[in-house]
Amino acid sequence: MRTTRTLTLSLIAVLMLAPPATAGAKALLIDGSTSIFPLMTQLASAYHKATKQPTPKVGQGTSDAGVNDVNSGRVDIGDVSRDPIIGSDPKGLVFTKLARDGVCMITNPKNPLGNLNQETVQAIFTGNVREWSEVPGSKMTGPIDLVDRIASSGTQDAFQNIFLGPNLKISKSAEEEESNGLVQNKVKVDEHAIGFVSFAFTSGVNAVGYQGIPCTLQNAKSGQYQGVRNFWMVTKGVPRGAAKKYIEWVTSSKNATARKIINSEWIAIH
Amino acid sequence: MHQAPASTGSPVGRPGAALRRIFARGAGPAERRTEWMLRTLAAGVLVVIAGMAITVFSKAWPSFAHNGLAWFGGGGDVDTQLREMINGPKDPAHYVYQFKAWPLIWATILTSGLAVVLGMVVSIFAAVFIVEFAPAQVRRAIDPVIRLLAGVPSVVYGLVGILAIAPWVEHNLISTGRKRSVEYVVQLTGANLSVAILILTVMIVPIMVAIVVSALETVPASWTEGSAALGVNRWRTTWRVSLRTARPAIVAAAVLATARALGESIMLSMVSGSRGFSPNPLDGVTFFFEPVRPLAATIIDYIDSITVVPVEQTLYAMAAVLLVSCALLSLAGWAAKQPVKRYGIRA
Amino acid sequence: MASAQQALAASATPARPPTAAVRPGRGRDSVKAWPVVDRIAFGLCWAVGIGLCLVTAAIVLFMAVKGVAYLKPSLLIEHPSPSQDQAGSGGFLDPIEGTLLLTAVGIAIAAPVGVGLAIWMSEYQRPAWLARAVESGVEMISGAPSVLLAMFGLVLFARPALAFLSQTSAGGSVYGKSFLTAGAMMSLIALPLVVASTREALLQVPAHVREASYALGKTKATTIRKVLLPSVRPSIASGVTLGIGRIVGDTAIVVILLGATIRTEGAGGAPVLSVLRGTGGTLTSYVRYNSPAGEGNAHEKAYAAAFVLLLMVLGLNLLVMRFSSGEATGKLGRMRMGKPGRMRVVGILPWTR
Repeated sequence: MRTTRTLTLSLIAVLMLAPPATAGAKALLIDGSTSIFPLMTQLASAYHKATKQPTPKVGQGTSDAGVNDVNSGRVDIGDVSRDPIIGSDPKGLVFTKLARDGVCMITNPKNPLGNLNQETVQAIFTGNVREWSEVPGSKMTGPIDLVDRIASSGTQDAFQNIFLGPNLKISKSAEEEESNGLVQNKVKVDEHAIGFVSFAFTSGVNAVGYQGIPCTLQNAKSGQYQGVRNFWMVTKGVPRGAAKKYIEWVTSSKNATARKIINSEWIAIH
Repeated sequence: MHQAPASTGSPVGRPGAALRRIFARGAGPAERRTEWMLRTLAAGVLVVIAGMAITVFSKAWPSFAHNGLAWFGGGGDVDTQLREMINGPKDPAHYVYQFKAWPLIWATILTSGLAVVLGMVVSIFAAVFIVEFAPAQVRRAIDPVIRLLAGVPSVVYGLVGILAIAPWVEHNLISTGRKRSVEYVVQLTGANLSVAILILTVMIVPIMVAIVVSALETVPASWTEGSAALGVNRWRTTWRVSLRTARPAIVAAAVLATARALGESIMLSMVSGSRGFSPNPLDGVTFFFEPVRPLAATIIDYIDSITVVPVEQTLYAMAAVLLVSCALLSLAGWAAKQPVKRYGIRA
Repeated sequence: MASAQQALAASATPARPPTAAVRPGRGRDSVKAWPVVDRIAFGLCWAVGIGLCLVTAAIVLFMAVKGVAYLKPSLLIEHPSPSQDQAGSGGFLDPIEGTLLLTAVGIAIAAPVGVGLAIWMSEYQRPAWLARAVESGVEMISGAPSVLLAMFGLVLFARPALAFLSQTSAGGSVYGKSFLTAGAMMSLIALPLVVASTREALLQVPAHVREASYALGKTKATTIRKVLLPSVRPSIASGVTLGIGRIVGDTAIVVILLGATIRTEGAGGAPVLSVLRGTGGTLTSYVRYNSPAGEGNAHEKAYAAAFVLLLMVLGLNLLVMRFSSGEATGKLGRMRMGKPGRMRVVGILPWTR
């Protein structure tokens, strides 16, 4: 009886003392845009392989969640896929540019729309045109199912600014999805759907060209495709400590590994 | 509120008064230590539970304070309001708090209420079948069936709903004409009110059946025999005697099922349409195909934005509404059973 | 409300045989002679009863067909692929480990606390107001949505005092999501089931068993430990198994408090503790992630994982049935059925051996 009691007590003591002993190995916490998520996870593993630092932990919850998490100190770096909004974003945040990314409109493979010009895009996404039969270039019939993103999405901000302009808003009757992946899912299963995603999410669906230019990585890199926006890493104040090391590693112009990862589906700028 | 069942008359229960006196006098230190430890444990659990209620309410208070009773009212689109909160200014003096939760509350009432009503009808008939009419082999087979249904995780129901039932509903029951008739307001998909109610009913029926069956079995045999002796057939006996006697249990079953339905978040977030839309009964049959999003599903859907303070407080306000509803349900169930207790029915 | 719990716990035990009851004989009461309304009701009962069996069969068969079609043994032993798109290679070993680990943490807290609580509620119950409050509290927990518990956990475990249960960001704020925190909240879910089952069984132990123990000079604590607890062991086991079943099936707490990552991500370097303090996923969050409601985009893997989950629940159900049948024929059953002869009872009591 006494031996079991001593054993249990010593086990508990060991467990209690162990946490402070491991307190030194803290990993970076990163959170934010669902568009940046695939890129950041690859960069984080490459960082761990190259520098032996603990792998940064990457989560996703949309750009605005990233801004708020960084501001409240819950994470060290936030991923934001839209430009900073003066007056709305909290003060004291520092934005470091990471890469550039293309935003494509996508339709179901059964609806292989080749191209849309600006007026048609605006008409479709504001809800003025509701039938596929009224869309030039589409052989589909039936009502258009619009797929939008939720309010805190940076991709939605980027899409509205670039494709719709400052005065038009996406129709309220559109379905709102939380992430790029969910938009891609929805468009894959619904043949009447049309939505917009970051370029990395265009597999399995039809990417629609804009203003006569197909939405490909090459066209985005050359600047011909207009639907391109910035990826930012956000820190509270100037980056310090482990976050500074990571950001410097990722944005270094001498870092061929990072540049190769970025160039695979995005546009490197460093 | 429930004491040890000394009233059932069976030889169970704690030691009598004489023994208690012995212990009060001669309880040794080890004895008192055990009792003290267990009492602390019980008090600790109580503190955790009370702490939960206090935390939820204190976090929810600002949202209620800024909106007043209009929080429960309607007007405006819930998703737009949450969007304003997320995009709004980040300093505490200027947080956007406006929120009118009626579409969510209406959705919760619709899904839980209709599911419980449908479920109760189904459960009563099923329970009567199990207790009265089922042959012995069928009876033996049904017990594990009920228990299995009760144990299936909600995410499996959600998966079957979203991959099998919702597409079937979308292709076969929602015609293009119906879609066009409401397309200016909302898009109809397979994930809608009807599928939500259907799957929720299947989820809560096993709970209700188990309780009602247990109650029907404890109806004193002399009562049913007396009824049979008067020449009443089996169905009528069950309907007029057994089910009446089992009424407190039916109420308890309904309360338990409603609490389960209110708290169901994952399955509903997968199949109910994920839009804070308020279905209009005047739409006729289309009413059943409109997307809804009950309170618990809304919490799950917006949990990623919880770092935005006004959103956090709004989500806790929704959780507080759920907590109060469950507590009220519990109270209502207890009150409904009180009048029948004097007959000594083990309810 | 406790009676509802008792009823549920009792339904796990075989119903007591009707006391010398003779149900109205079938031969004399032919359905054909009944009024139309009653015959319709009779038909409805049969229809609903058979319909319930058919619905269950449909669900089980559908999952079985899809599961067998998509479940390969390699899925059970491979780790999930690290990319977001799960449609390619990779299995779900991490979610399986996550389910087992989370259940272990949850039940390790719920079982002792639940049994202790049940003992206190049935044997001591002093002061009376505390007993009533605890009973109401446990009932409230059993009816509370798991989303509510998860949100409470979010607030509770973000406190710096509890930072050792999860990781801290370099900025100083506590992450709050880990196996330990999620397990703590899961234990609250399993607690009412353990308490109800144990308490029901304790209340059914006949008074003469306790009295015999006291008459031999044993204290209350010893009586509980050596006489009562061993005799209600099957009920504790069935309550614990019911609790495990509930933990295995819960998704909301996993999504909110465990991080719901695809792979188990440890925190720090210590061997066991890093996993406990890190985030991960379970089979339930994996199924949700791969369904159209998540981003994994791998419906086949969702079906396979859901099938594995269903098999786990089936297995647990069978365990519960075995425990409850053992209860009727075991020591307690013999005592309850009132076998005559003091010698026989003394022979059965474990501490006299």
